[in-house]
Amino acid sequence: MADVFDKCSNWKDYKIAKATGLYPYFKAIEASHASTEVEIDGKRIIMVGSNNYLGLAGDPRVKEAAHEAIRKFGTTCSGSRLLNGTLSLHEELEHRLAKFLNREAALVVSTGFQTNLATMAGILGRHDIVFSDRQNHASLLDGIRLGYATEKRYRHNDMEHLEKLLQDADPDAGKLIVTDGVFSMEGDLCNLPKIVELAQKYKARVMTDDAHAMGVLGEKGRGTAEYFGLEAQTDLVMGTFSKSFASLGGVIAGPFDVINYIKHKSRPVVFSASMTPAAVAAALKALDIIEAEPQRRARLLDIAEKMHNGFRAMGFDTGVSVTPVVPVFVGDQVKCFRMWKQLFEVGIFTNPVIPPAVEPGHALLRTSYMATHTDEQLDRVLEQFERIGRKLKVIPETRPTSYTPVKIARPGTYVIRNEASQRWAAASAGLLADRGFSLEQIARMTPGEVANKLFDAVETLTWRAANLQPDDLKRLSTAPLKLWEKRSGIRNLPGVLLEKGANFFMKNGTRPEA
Amino acid sequence: MIPASVLEGARARHAVKPAADVDIAPVRTTSERDAFVRFQLDHYRDDPNFVPPIVAERRDFVDPAKNPFLEHASLQLFLARRNGKIVGRIAAIDDPHYNQFHNTEVGFFGMFESVNEPGVAAALFDAAAEWVRSRGMKSMLGPVNLSTNHDCGLLVEGFGSPPAMMMPYNPRYYPALFEATGFRKAKDLWTYELSTSVAPPEEVLRAAERLREEGVRVRPLNLRDLRSERRILKQIYNAMLGRQWGFVPMSDAEFDFIAERLRPLAVLRSELCFIAEVDGEPVAFSLTFPDANVGLKAANGYLTRFGLPIGLARLAWATRANDRLRVLMLGIKPGFQKRGIDAVLYTETLRAARALGYVGGELGWTCEDNHLMNRALESMGARRYRTYRIYERKV
Repeated sequence: MADVFDKCSNWKDYKIAKATGLYPYFKAIEASHASTEVEIDGKRIIMVGSNNYLGLAGDPRVKEAAHEAIRKFGTTCSGSRLLNGTLSLHEELEHRLAKFLNREAALVVSTGFQTNLATMAGILGRHDIVFSDRQNHASLLDGIRLGYATEKRYRHNDMEHLEKLLQDADPDAGKLIVTDGVFSMEGDLCNLPKIVELAQKYKARVMTDDAHAMGVLGEKGRGTAEYFGLEAQTDLVMGTFSKSFASLGGVIAGPFDVINYIKHKSRPVVFSASMTPAAVAAALKALDIIEAEPQRRARLLDIAEKMHNGFRAMGFDTGVSVTPVVPVFVGDQVKCFRMWKQLFEVGIFTNPVIPPAVEPGHALLRTSYMATHTDEQLDRVLEQFERIGRKLKVIPETRPTSYTPVKIARPGTYVIRNEASQRWAAASAGLLADRGFSLEQIARMTPGEVANKLFDAVETLTWRAANLQPDDLKRLSTAPLKLWEKRSGIRNLPGVLLEKGANFFMKNGTRPEA
Repeated sequence: MIPASVLEGARARHAVKPAADVDIAPVRTTSERDAFVRFQLDHYRDDPNFVPPIVAERRDFVDPAKNPFLEHASLQLFLARRNGKIVGRIAAIDDPHYNQFHNTEVGFFGMFESVNEPGVAAALFDAAAEWVRSRGMKSMLGPVNLSTNHDCGLLVEGFGSPPAMMMPYNPRYYPALFEATGFRKAKDLWTYELSTSVAPPEEVLRAAERLREEGVRVRPLNLRDLRSERRILKQIYNAMLGRQWGFVPMSDAEFDFIAERLRPLAVLRSELCFIAEVDGEPVAFSLTFPDANVGLKAANGYLTRFGLPIGLARLAWATRANDRLRVLMLGIKPGFQKRGIDAVLYTETLRAARALGYVGGELGWTCEDNHLMNRALESMGARRYRTYRIYERKV
């Protein structure tokens, strides 16, 4: 008889990693110095693995606000928002966030994970279809599992695949496209312009999970939709407080009716204790600072650019990221752990990301930065990465002669590729499509047109002949030989011609239609 | 002094709105591309000074499969139509080599033709600007067809005669169209006219003589080994222009592409192309060609008519009677400039041209702020002849 615990005791990965000394997870931090440096095992370590993008977690103003809330409201709400767990603080934060995000309403939930669970489980019904990016955050996937909707997952940022799924879906069903704004492990953006375009074409709703984008992207820090200038077309936007907002919790913002429905109907909200007063107050203070100090975002993106280009100049691959999430690809899983360990030993905290979070053979060290990192700290990180990268043969011994600089997602760098410009892209792709003529086309032409085409062909041939190169002559002289080599193909030529001709006459109605 | 931003704003307010009834469409098919090329011939039908390019050549020129420039650069052609009739055309160009070389975010446009209506021109420019902007560019330079290594600039002074070979030509109203749609001057390019009957100044002759004594050897192009000659030219070309405005280094394929077009002319009159060597090391070259435009004008855009080589025959016939030259380029390696090597090349060219019976020709282009070159040309008795202008606009 099977025991449910069997899989736990049979799970070897942890034991192997622990035995080889390469186990990188659950590292306990003993103290934090202005967030950018932490103490682990009594050692000071530069933290480049935190999501505290704006460096507000260590900000004295935020800390003080949290203290104040504890003094006023205590340490917990001891209940659900629906019943006894709503404080004036919660309502203030919701109003402020709705205003900040330009939405009708917002709802704060105890964690970011729960926010996605609540939204998905709340709004998805039995007859709905949800389209989700394969690399979406786990909370979205689990949320979708809780709802009863049909799930269609499209390949990461593959808009053709998404369109195909949308085409195949029941046109009468309710549809939701849900995607991460910034993908958490590889730092790339979703193709929101195309998603919005498809959503409008197939009458679907759009939700972005802006956990890593809120406070970071866009001129005011409102996230991916603001960056792309598509806020009006994005129906729901989700964010968390554990990243830029220096707290814990999440927010979902959108139309009042939707938010109100989630608030009353979704079990992850209704049956869970509300955000603690300290967390709400910290998030509120962080929001104040995010609104008042845009220079933090600018600094963060400067740092991101510096690090991307720094890594790339050494020969590292930072992938398609355009954000402060800077993945450094290592490839092999064990090498990744070894690199992580060596970096850790010289005082740099990174996050190793291995399959299944990424594809096999694409293990990476995820680094992410704070606006409060000093240039000295960053230079030290780069220096150690270069040294260890070379030692482990992740990068070559000498720097490559050139690299492609990153195009950081700064506000204003993205120009809306509207319908017109997409048409143009399609145009250049199709430019060479109509070479040559079919028999049918020729049959439709007037004798004058046919003559013109023939003269045109002579003109082109004359031009080519006038421009013959010595190499071309050589090629021409070998042409008979090549023909001889391909003679088996030519032997079929009469058959092919016969077939073509038959088709041609059939189509052109020389025989009476049945 | 008015700040530039204010001027920019004022210009934008006064800028012409695109005409509403004009439909701008990207060129999608080969037949549309054909129409794009042939529109130029229709457009200049009544202009006696226009020299029609060979249509087949232009078609290859904008074909990514044929033109090596388009291996790295991207090009989008647009046609403006009103009631189905073509009224204008423009090409938008994204040349990453240029932006890498100058570390800029500049897009280009070129092959611009339009009827005399600011609304049509504005619509065309807006289409090009939007395409260029969609590729992340901040401003747009032009006209260049399709890079500064090909013909470029808008003729603003010196109308009234056919253009020299590989120089653009346009109606008189184009500068007004550009200025009405928010463009401002980026740079002027000058060409010079020189008659072979003008005797070179005394000091030029003396300088030439001195250099010859110092061991600067000038030799005509060696036709037997054009391949290695080409390598020499390319090396000097890329070394010399490196610091110049608008320069973008050419790949081998691009250089060969242009060289192949010029090869018949070089073979025809190889006496006019010189390479200067100091102690056996090639340091400078001067390329002068018979002005092919005389022949091209006779061909009227087609090598054949009704399948017969009528154009080709006309071209050959007109070329026989050609007495004009184009001094395409004079290049000196950095470090050998200001030593009078240009004077030697110049006197040699003049001597050869006279002997072959040419009466004069056009030199250029040079940048308006290339004082070294401009002074040298003027001191040789050349007269400023035409002004071409490169415009710029924010996108």
